[in-house]
Amino acid sequence: MSETAETSPQTLRDWLLSERPQSRMQARLGRFYMIWRRFTANKLAVVGLVIILALLFVAAFADLLAPYSPTVGDLRTTRLLPPGGEFLLGTDDQGRDILSRLIYGSRLTLYVVLLVAIIAAPIGLLVGTVAGYAGGWVDAVLMRITDIFLAFPKLILALAFVAALGPGIENAVIAIAITSWPPYARMARAETLTVRNSDYIAAVQLMGASPTRIVVRHIMPLCLSSLIVRVTLDMAGIILTAAGLGFLGLGAQPPLPEWGAMIASGRRFILDQWWVAAMPGLAILIVSLGFNLLGDGLRDALDPRGSNQ
Amino acid sequence: MMMNLGRFRILAAGAAISAIMAVTGPAWTATPQDTLVIAFAFDDIITLDPAESFELSTGEILGNSYDRLVRLDINDTSNVTKDIAESWTVSEDGLTYTFKIKPDLKFASGNPVTAEDVAFSIQRAVKLDKSPVFILTQFGITADNVEEKAKATDPSTFVLTLDQPYAPSFVLNCLTADVASVVDKKLVLENVVDNDYGNAWLKTHYAGSGPMKIRDWRANEILVLERNDNYHGEKAKLVRVIYRHVKESATQRLLLEKGDVDVARNLEPGDLDAVSKEDSISLTNAPKGTIYYFSLNQKNETLAKPEVREALKYLVDYEAIGATLIKGIGTLHQTFLPKGVLGELDEMPYKLDVNKAKELLEKAGLKDGFSVTMDVRNNQPVTGIAESVQQTFAKAGVKLEIIPGDGKQTLTKYRARNHDMYIGQWGMDYWDPHSNADTFSSNPDNKDGASSTTLAWRNSWDIPELTKETRAAVLERDTAKRIEMYHDLQKKVLETGPYVILFQQTEVAGVRGNVENYRLGPSFSTNYVYTVSKK
Repeated sequence: MSETAETSPQTLRDWLLSERPQSRMQARLGRFYMIWRRFTANKLAVVGLVIILALLFVAAFADLLAPYSPTVGDLRTTRLLPPGGEFLLGTDDQGRDILSRLIYGSRLTLYVVLLVAIIAAPIGLLVGTVAGYAGGWVDAVLMRITDIFLAFPKLILALAFVAALGPGIENAVIAIAITSWPPYARMARAETLTVRNSDYIAAVQLMGASPTRIVVRHIMPLCLSSLIVRVTLDMAGIILTAAGLGFLGLGAQPPLPEWGAMIASGRRFILDQWWVAAMPGLAILIVSLGFNLLGDGLRDALDPRGSNQ
Repeated sequence: MMMNLGRFRILAAGAAISAIMAVTGPAWTATPQDTLVIAFAFDDIITLDPAESFELSTGEILGNSYDRLVRLDINDTSNVTKDIAESWTVSEDGLTYTFKIKPDLKFASGNPVTAEDVAFSIQRAVKLDKSPVFILTQFGITADNVEEKAKATDPSTFVLTLDQPYAPSFVLNCLTADVASVVDKKLVLENVVDNDYGNAWLKTHYAGSGPMKIRDWRANEILVLERNDNYHGEKAKLVRVIYRHVKESATQRLLLEKGDVDVARNLEPGDLDAVSKEDSISLTNAPKGTIYYFSLNQKNETLAKPEVREALKYLVDYEAIGATLIKGIGTLHQTFLPKGVLGELDEMPYKLDVNKAKELLEKAGLKDGFSVTMDVRNNQPVTGIAESVQQTFAKAGVKLEIIPGDGKQTLTKYRARNHDMYIGQWGMDYWDPHSNADTFSSNPDNKDGASSTTLAWRNSWDIPELTKETRAAVLERDTAKRIEMYHDLQKKVLETGPYVILFQQTEVAGVRGNVENYRLGPSFSTNYVYTVSKK
C-alpha cells in the first residue's frame, strides 16, 4: 500500500477513491478524503478553518509573537496611544500594548472554548443517549432536567452560577459548561431514538451485548458527527458568553487579557479612543466567524446521511 | 424599470429622513430660559425625608430645599453661617446651646417657621431612628429624652442640651447636616399615617422653607425643583431646576454638547478632556469630602508587620495615577481629613520608591515578596487604580491578586473582616473632622462582633491610645487646640495606619456657556442651584 501511496498524486487519489478498498484502513482513509473534498469545496469553510488554525498558531506561539508584555504598561508615557507606530493596535488605559494583550488573550479564549466543549459535550451526549435508549421514566426524568436548564436564558444562568461560585475564569468555564450541555442532550436523544430500533441494534442485543456496551459502542459513535458540528457552531456562542461574563466583570480577573473584559474596560473611551474597545471586539468577531464558518462546512461535509453511505 | 424606481424610492426616502433630521435637529437643543436642566446620575435617591435620607444625591436636593439652623460657610468651610438662626449662645459649662430664630419666616406652605418646628424636626428625626440619626444621638440624645433635650422655650427660642461639653465647632458642624433640617410641623402632622411621623408621606413630598421647593420626583427618571417664593433670603433667579437621570458619562457628554442639558454632572476623565475643548462648555470643580484609600487587614500576619505597611505605601505610583486615572476627578491626598475640613493636614510624604520598599520588606524578612489579595469593586476608577497598584507592587515582588465583585459583595466581605486588602472610598457623614477621625483612628473594641464597626475595626487595627486621643479631640473646646490634636492624629495614622490613602475626590461639572454662577460646593449638601442664572 505504501508503495502505491508514494507513486503519483493521481494514483493516490484513485487509491483513495477506489470502489473496492483492499483494507479497512483504505476504506476509512477514502471516506475521510471524501469528507475533505466536500469540505474544501466550500470556500467559506476553508476560510473558517484557516482562521481557527491561525488562532491555534497565535495561542501556541504567543510568547514569540507578542511584541510587549500583556500585563505591564507605563501609565505615564504609553497610555491610550492610537494604533500605528510603536504600538500596532494602540495601547489601553493602563498603557499596555493591545496587540500583545490580544495575542495572549487568544490562549484564554481557546482555554475557555476547549474546556467548555470537553465538559459539556460528553455530559450532553451521555444524558441524551441514555435517555433515548432507556426510555420510560429514565427518559422522562433526564429530559425534564434538561428542560429546566433550557428554560433559563443561558447568560442569566451563567451569571447566577458565577455569582454563586465567585468570579474567575475557571468558574466562568464551569458556569458556561453547566448551561450549554442541554442542547447536546436533546440532539443526542433524537439521534438515539432514530437508531434504537434498527436491525443492527437488535442484532447486537441478540448477541448478548449489555445496554452500556450498546450505548457506548453502537449508539454514541452515530451521534458523534452531528455533535461535532453542533459543538463547533456553538463555540462562537461560548466565546460570546465568556466575553459577556468578562464584560460584566465576572469572567477573567484583571490583569488577564480576556477579550470581553478588554471591551468592558475600553467602553469608557469609546468616543475618543475607539481602538481600546474596537480591537478586542474585532478579535471576537473574527474568531466567532471562524468557528461559525467551520461548523457550517463541517455540517455539510459530515452529514451522516450523506451520499457516501 | 421597476428596479430603478425602487432605487429611486429608497433615495427619496433617505433624502426625506435626512431633511427631517436637519430641520428638527437644532430645534431640540435649547433649554427654556427660566429653567436649568441638569444631567445627573441620581439612582441612589430612595427617600426625600431629611430624617431618613443619607444618600449623596439626596443631600444636594435637601441642601437646596430645606433650611436648617446653621449652614456650612461655603467660602470658609471650617466655619458655619446663620441660616434660620439669628444668633446662638453656649452656656458656661458647654452643655446648653440656645438658638434665637429669625422672625417672620414662612414655610413654602405659608405656615410660619418657629422654634417649635425646629424642636419637632429634631425630635422627629431621633424618634424615627433612621440611618443618619447617629449624627444627633452622639450628643447623648435618645428617643426617651429628646423632648427634654431639644425643645422650644418660646416661639423664637430653641434650646439644645448635650450630655458632655463637646467642642462647639463639632456641635454646630453636626447641625448643618441634612438630618437637622427644619420641617413644617403642621404640614407633616396632617400627613401622619400609623404614627410614622409623616415618614411615608415625606418620602415623596416636601415640607420645607428652603430656596427651592421639590415639586416632583420619579425614581431614576426626573426630579424637579421649583422656586420657593416664601424663602427668607435672596430668591432664586430661575423658576425651576430639572434633574434628568442619565447614568452613562458618554450620554451626558452628548446631551451637553448638543445643548439638551445645561449641566452634566457625572463626566468621566476621558469625556471631561473632550468636553473641555469645546468653546461653549466650561468646567467647574470642587474638592469633596470623599477620600479613596486601600486598607490592609491586620488579621493578615504579613500585613500586620509595620515594615510591610510602610513598604506598601511606597509601592504606589501616586503621581502617575494622579496624572492619568483620576485626572479631573480627584487630587492626590494622603491624610485622612479631606481638604477644606477643619484641622486638615496637608502632607504627602509617600511617593513611588521601589528601593526603599524593598529595604523595608527585607527588614520584615520578606526579601522575596509575598502574595496577597485585594477585593475590588467592579467600577472605575478603583479597578484601574488596583491594576496600576498590581503592577507597582510586582516591582518589589509583591504578588497582588485582584478579586473583582459588585459593591455589595466586596463591602459585605470588608465589614466581616474577611479581606486581605480592600480598595474603596470613605465619604464624610457630616462636615466635622470627628466624622473621619471617629472611623480612621478609633476602635473602642477590636473583638469580632463588636458594636462599633469603624474602619479601624474593619481592618482589625487595635489602637487604644489613638481611640482615647480621638475622644479627647471631640471634647476640646478651644478650636486652635482642637486643630492641633487633629494634626497629630493624622500624622500618626499616616505613619503607622493600615490605610494607603490615595486621593480626595473632586466633583466636576461641565457647564454650558449661558449658565452663570453655577458652583459646586464643598459638600454634597452645598451644591447650590438656587444661585444660578441664565443669559
